[in-house]
Amino acid sequence: MVFQVDFKTGKPVYLQLVDQVRYAAASGGLRPGEPLPSIRPLAEELRVNRNTVAKAYTELESQGVIETIPGKGCFLKENNSPFTKPVRQKLLLKEVDEAVVMAHHLQVDREAFLALVKERLDHFERKVASHEEKS
Amino acid sequence: MNETPVIEIKELTRRYGKQDAVNGLSLTVRPGRCYGFFGRNGAGKTTTIKCLLNLLRPTAGSVRVFGLDPQRDEVAVKSRLAYVPDVVAFYPWMTVRDTLKYLASFRAHWNRDIEADLLRRFGLNAAQKTTALSKGQRTQLALIGAICPEPELLLLDEPTSGLDPIVRREFIQTVIGAYQSGDPGSRTVFVSTHLISEFEGLIDEFTIIEQGRELLTMEADAARDRFKKIRARFAQPPAKLDLPGALSVKQNGREVEILANGSSDEFIAKLKSLQPEELQTESLTLEEIFVASQSLGPSKP
Repeated sequence: MVFQVDFKTGKPVYLQLVDQVRYAAASGGLRPGEPLPSIRPLAEELRVNRNTVAKAYTELESQGVIETIPGKGCFLKENNSPFTKPVRQKLLLKEVDEAVVMAHHLQVDREAFLALVKERLDHFERKVASHEEKS
Repeated sequence: MNETPVIEIKELTRRYGKQDAVNGLSLTVRPGRCYGFFGRNGAGKTTTIKCLLNLLRPTAGSVRVFGLDPQRDEVAVKSRLAYVPDVVAFYPWMTVRDTLKYLASFRAHWNRDIEADLLRRFGLNAAQKTTALSKGQRTQLALIGAICPEPELLLLDEPTSGLDPIVRREFIQTVIGAYQSGDPGSRTVFVSTHLISEFEGLIDEFTIIEQGRELLTMEADAARDRFKKIRARFAQPPAKLDLPGALSVKQNGREVEILANGSSDEFIAKLKSLQPEELQTESLTLEEIFVASQSLGPSKP
């Protein structure tokens, strides 16, 4: 998974890291049992205060999302607390809103927009199905 | 648990003739913090640091480092801190190795593993004379000399000025990696710099000094939560907006940009009532806050 810090969001840095791990866990970027980078190299790479990264990892551990195995590192827990349905929908809401606004600017009307969404959903489902057939 | 502030400055005043280089500055740095000290040239940053190091005596007010008076307990204070200035001086006839041995001779503690690791990491040739080093390498050598004694306080005064971007990055990474690895309560950084955006990730808390006085002191996260840039675009150029308390309001035809120090919800509500086509809010980075703060004036927010 890729970590990114954005100072323009107004969200505390440690929370950004927590949310990114949770998002990666929910979207397949990080799988159960996969290791997270160690605190020191991650802090160095992001050029962020080491205590900030430590705070994020402590928070993730207390939320039951990750676990630390002494001598081995931090790993995503099996059956880690997934995002609840309302939270997942809220995450999607932002993207949907952006698409709606863009459709408005590009003068794509409601019917055309919904038809486009349905077409892309069908396309995506076909892709997933054929991918599963191959593996 | 040791709660004595690592640095405590109270109403510090330092006069030069008729000028007050520092005029009533107060700030507190708690153990384990990375504290940023920002200000324009001539604002009083270096004078303040010199008072911490007993290179200058306060005209009025007090400075305490580890709870001690740097004037009365100079050796006790200096044995627990390390200082990296912007211009580093070494004895020109010494090699890199000689310099490190020399610096180590003043220290009760010196971590040789960190020394070896950093020499390798920076690619410094231990046998090279210091006169042959580039500016970046001199800073790297100074940083090794500062980190190996594992001091409780790392005092940095424009440490990366004039260095290329790669060296600047490595410097910050080394502070985070090699220095911060120790017990968090005994690793405090105080950095005075113009390169605010580079140090932004490191900084927990900061003070902006202006004309010798404290202009703003805040936690970094709180500051980014408070200072916002609100951009709106309208179908028609809006009538002149009344937004008292905004740091700045810029109107350019149909577009408006507001810098807010708090009250951003209020401004957003006012803008929404005018039915904008588009409305976006983002936080100011620490560097933008520094620039915007110049219009804050002497009173605190």
